[in-house]
Amino acid sequence: MSVHVTSISKTFGKYCALKRVNLDIDTGELVALLGPSGSGKTTLLRIIAGLEFPDDGEGAIYFHGEDVTLRSAYQRRAGFVFQNYALFPHMTVADNIAFGLHARPAATRPPQEEIDRRVSELLQLIQLDQHHRRFPAQLSGGQRQRVALARALAIEPRVLLLDEPFGALDAKVRRELRRWLRKFHDQTRLTTLFVTHDHEEAFELADRVVVLSDGAVQQVGKPFQIRDEPANEMVQNFLGLNI
Amino acid sequence: MAGIIMGARVAAMRHHPVAAATSDPWWVKGIVLTLGLSFVALFLVLPTCVVFHEAFRRGFGVYQQALQDDVTRRAIFLTLTVSAIVVPLNTIFGLAAAWCVSRFQFRGKRLLVSLIELPLWVSPVIGGLIYVLLFGAQGIFGPWLQTYNIQIIFALPGIVLATLFVTFPFVARTIIPQMEAQGYAEEEAALTLGASGWRTFFLITLPKIKWSLIYGIILCNARSMGEFGAVSVVSGHIRGRTNTIPLQIEILYNEYQFAAAFAVASLLCLLAILTLMMKTWNEWHTEKQLLLAQEAFHQESIP
Repeated sequence: MSVHVTSISKTFGKYCALKRVNLDIDTGELVALLGPSGSGKTTLLRIIAGLEFPDDGEGAIYFHGEDVTLRSAYQRRAGFVFQNYALFPHMTVADNIAFGLHARPAATRPPQEEIDRRVSELLQLIQLDQHHRRFPAQLSGGQRQRVALARALAIEPRVLLLDEPFGALDAKVRRELRRWLRKFHDQTRLTTLFVTHDHEEAFELADRVVVLSDGAVQQVGKPFQIRDEPANEMVQNFLGLNI
Repeated sequence: MAGIIMGARVAAMRHHPVAAATSDPWWVKGIVLTLGLSFVALFLVLPTCVVFHEAFRRGFGVYQQALQDDVTRRAIFLTLTVSAIVVPLNTIFGLAAAWCVSRFQFRGKRLLVSLIELPLWVSPVIGGLIYVLLFGAQGIFGPWLQTYNIQIIFALPGIVLATLFVTFPFVARTIIPQMEAQGYAEEEAALTLGASGWRTFFLITLPKIKWSLIYGIILCNARSMGEFGAVSVVSGHIRGRTNTIPLQIEILYNEYQFAAAFAVASLLCLLAILTLMMKTWNEWHTEKQLLLAQEAFHQESIP
């Protein structure tokens, strides 16, 4: 599914987080939103998810051509993975993953056997089938991250949104998960957008990179394009190319 | 910060007593301990013992008789009725207030938090007086209420209102800090997964604040049953009709029925002891959960 963002602005009080941002993501792409902290990249991701709403005006968000600007987070069916995972601490791994399916209104809720089947599939996918009865507090950071992914995937999202997905992990786990995500994306071709401040991560993982700074898009392109031809001094500085 | 303290506590529990950096000489410890303990004994334990001693001084029969007295029974029933109305209402108000304060940014938020605590600073007598001035015969709404024959002051509604006022802060105050500290990420996650607002509240928010909510409810209940000042102003002291347990104790005492007064007082003491036990159990449970979380955190480095 494609995502199109046109002329989105967002202000918090007097602070302007996003200034007329445009963004086009094609079906099946894996795109990185890259920028320093305070660049507005997380705000943009949250607006696409429906957790935050843009300022009134001409700005709009389209999911596969359909205007979803005023839709709630769930109606958009975007799978969101939070920076600190936001797992439900009082539920087991299996219950966390099943939450989105149980939360559906009775009419569209799958039967219990179907839910169980789906949960065990996802547990296999994230290689945690041994730990389905553990609580989040009993898991390592990398395991929690995978549970958060499985939980977001359980609702069969139309687009996957990841906020600094590897930020809180150590270097080794980070590399493993990066590879895993790339492989997962190659297999499923689920449209994916992830936020990062690490340009190496963005260049290694993404099909295309969007560089944000001061609430505006500075450059969009394939990793090599950005590396070889930074659009302006800001991008150059951020990538550390002029040293 | 809390994490550091918790970590230190866990460390202290795991490895046996390490000499603390700030270890005081034994005689300082002795003096402070003696002072603290004798204060507790003199002002807290001794009076409680006296209450029970006086209550049973003339035998168990007299004690039983005092509690079986018709007027006393009605006072007990009234107190139970009042707290059965007040505690659920203040739980709902407290949750709503805490939700409001911890989830939304708005002008005058600090003022609202201060206002929630107002009943703690104001003398309960004033709390009662407000309602007399509003709903009493000479009060602002008095004539209007009289034409419709609605009795608030010197009746159950007045007692409930006064108790609501006095016990309002307890639930809100105990859960606001926790809700503010825990943030909103899990609720947002539930939202993206398709849970409605109510579902999110019952499945995610409520379990998160469960223990401090219980703590607030226990305190609210204890205070609502023991409130004297505010209720005294609005009740009118009509025997067998508008007297709650604390008011009944005062009447018995003033009439020189000491054994009966202390017998009824022992009920409130028992309630206090029960509250203390529940509170301690609750704290013990919370601490255990923190320890578990901490231990899990220590094992985390294994991928």
